[in-house]
Amino acid sequence: MGRSKGKSQDTGGGGGGPSGPSSSSLPNNRASSLSPAPVISASSSTTSAQADTKIKDLKKELFGLIHNIQEERDRGQHNIVNIDKTHERMQQEARVTPYYKNKLRGLYNTAMQDAEAEAELLRKALDRITEIKSLKESKRQDSKQPKPIMRRGVLMTLLQQNATTLPLWVSKPGEKPPPLCGAVPADNNYVCNKNDKIAARVKSVDGEENWILASVVTFNSQTNKYEVDDIDAEEGKERHSISRRRIVPLPIYRANPETDPEALFPKGTLVLALYPQTTCFYRGLVDEPPKNHEDDYSVLFEDTSYPSGYSPPLMVAQRYVIACKEDKKK
Amino acid sequence: MKGKGKAAQQPQEKDCPLQFPDLTIVNHEEECKRYTAVLGRPTTESISIEELDPLQTDLELLLASVGRRLKLLESEIQILQNWQDKKDIKTPLIKGKVQVEPPSSNSAKRGKFAASTPDDRPTKKFKDSSGKSAAPPATVSSPVARAKTKIPQVKGHDGDSVHSPAELPRVVKNECVDRFWQAMEAYSRPVTEEDIKYLEEQIRKLEDEESLYLKIPPLGRHYREVWAEEDLLEEMTDGNKVNDKRRHTNHSNHTNSTATTNGTNGTTDASSLLKKAENSMEDSPYGPLTQRIVSALLEENIMTPMDDIITDFGENVEEASAISPRMLAKQLNIGNPAALERRIQRELEEQGILEPEDDEVEDDPNDEVLTELKQAQANLKPLIQWKIRHLKDLLKNAKDQQARQQPWKKFEECDAKLHEEYRKLNVARQKKKPNLKKERESVKKVLKEWWSVYQAVDDSYDQ
Repeated sequence: MGRSKGKSQDTGGGGGGPSGPSSSSLPNNRASSLSPAPVISASSSTTSAQADTKIKDLKKELFGLIHNIQEERDRGQHNIVNIDKTHERMQQEARVTPYYKNKLRGLYNTAMQDAEAEAELLRKALDRITEIKSLKESKRQDSKQPKPIMRRGVLMTLLQQNATTLPLWVSKPGEKPPPLCGAVPADNNYVCNKNDKIAARVKSVDGEENWILASVVTFNSQTNKYEVDDIDAEEGKERHSISRRRIVPLPIYRANPETDPEALFPKGTLVLALYPQTTCFYRGLVDEPPKNHEDDYSVLFEDTSYPSGYSPPLMVAQRYVIACKEDKKK
Repeated sequence: MKGKGKAAQQPQEKDCPLQFPDLTIVNHEEECKRYTAVLGRPTTESISIEELDPLQTDLELLLASVGRRLKLLESEIQILQNWQDKKDIKTPLIKGKVQVEPPSSNSAKRGKFAASTPDDRPTKKFKDSSGKSAAPPATVSSPVARAKTKIPQVKGHDGDSVHSPAELPRVVKNECVDRFWQAMEAYSRPVTEEDIKYLEEQIRKLEDEESLYLKIPPLGRHYREVWAEEDLLEEMTDGNKVNDKRRHTNHSNHTNSTATTNGTNGTTDASSLLKKAENSMEDSPYGPLTQRIVSALLEENIMTPMDDIITDFGENVEEASAISPRMLAKQLNIGNPAALERRIQRELEEQGILEPEDDEVEDDPNDEVLTELKQAQANLKPLIQWKIRHLKDLLKNAKDQQARQQPWKKFEECDAKLHEEYRKLNVARQKKKPNLKKERESVKKVLKEWWSVYQAVDDSYDQ
């Protein structure tokens, strides 16, 4: 598994970075600008060390943010309690007097401000986490040339983890979910970045066309072609060069059903979903969209081996469910 | 701190559109373990990599709850704002709307107060919008709870001007409902006496008409005669008009009267003229039977006997043939030729020579019109029967429905009474009367009665 224990160790390379002392021993918050890297073995690139430092900084920031968040919440708590008390009193009375209305308005406004501030901090913290993760990921990608051959189970767990830790998008009031959040499609000229996960329709060696889970390597804007890597890194399934029309980017955010239900596929929609324990996408119908931000889709896959023509409902994470353009049936 | 906040919708207050959502925040100690753990650490320590994932989950949970809280707060604030805004601006609009609606004395509303409109009219003066304490509870919502809706509306209103602003969104919202029920009224209104009467009359008419349509009218005058008469009449009237015009210019009064008399006597003149014309065409005024007998008595078919008769009388023989048979008949003093014909016919019938003719006109099988008529009547008959049958069914159903409406009427009356009592209670409460016992008792009593009537209606429906 790619994730290593310990603080800032590399899996494959990097040699002895500043992995010994835990970063927590550094007392101050260092600026996130690059600081001179401590003595590193020559094999690890400077970027790796830079990344490490960066990560450290970010973690520090994150830590601080979390504390801030909790402070904010505590402050807001007081207001919320007031609101509750006012509610109770109002409900006991027969009527709503303007006094109560104004008071309630004031309280609501304060609560909104508090909530907004809290949300800001939370978003920042989550951003930090994402940054740390992406840094780690890119570090891993760059440094290791030979891809570790993962066992199937390991790969599946990794996929699952990726799905659950996909950042959640919670719209602010009045905000709309962005492209590539849940079911919201990408812009027409969207170009996938390196290491973005996508669904690619490729022809395998035996001539069959399949939608596979792949990772972007490069994009050639002149020929409009992507170089993609099958994440299932078996021999012969590695790199493909395909036109952008055969690419569907996977969502970058999960949608929150409570705030953005419109960013979810409704029941009965035809989708392409990753079949559990495989790395291929197949056609299916949405049986049930997720109900809260941790839930998965429940999907009925098209399967001729069942009398109804559909499999029993299977759970597929939001990340691996994409819209299906009407293709000829496989 | 309570547990994970859910937006529990507390039941709406009767006057307040606010929803009082449950805004409690997440108990992070229970829900966000990693988060709490991180929090617990002193600043000297930091976060390990593997903690990132669970930490992310926790933070996302918090963010989701914050998002939800924001949404709820926003909607509440919006409601409050709308409430405030509509208070002053929209009051005349509400007032106009209220007076347009008919008094809903039989509203099926299960609100908490009376719907009696006469009380409401004066209280709907929203001039002093701040006078919320003074005005007795007004049924601002009576336009909302439509008389025709059988769906009881739970939203009661302790209405006064303060709440009328809240009415505007609701009134607007319910307009569609009102229109719908207005359209449905034709189908779902209760059966009235008028309906029953109408049905009965229809049935009676049909039964009368049955005989009317199915009778075969006797053969009238032949159309040739009728048309000839009519044509002649037309020409006469035309001629009269021309004459009138001419005479009008000559200023002769008597001609006017002549014209008018001509007009009134037109038909009779026409018929008499026609008769004259017809008669002049005939050779003899005598009926066919008479002629046959006379000719049988003659040896030859020439009209010589007439001549003989004439010569017997010693009249001018040369002039005999010149005289028309009519003049002849007059001279012979034979009398009414028609009567003579009838006498001869009677004599012959008594003798048994001639069979009595049927007085009825025998239906000529070649009469196409008659066959058509008969056919049409045959078609019509079952249709009329069918119609009568259905009307009778309908009448029966209407009467049944009327019977069923009785408990409903009672229920509505009881409802109104209950509203009245409750309204009184509220008035007393507002006046801050020390002892509300009396009012409460009366409300309870009426409530009991209402409940029993309600049960009755319910049962009647189940049948």
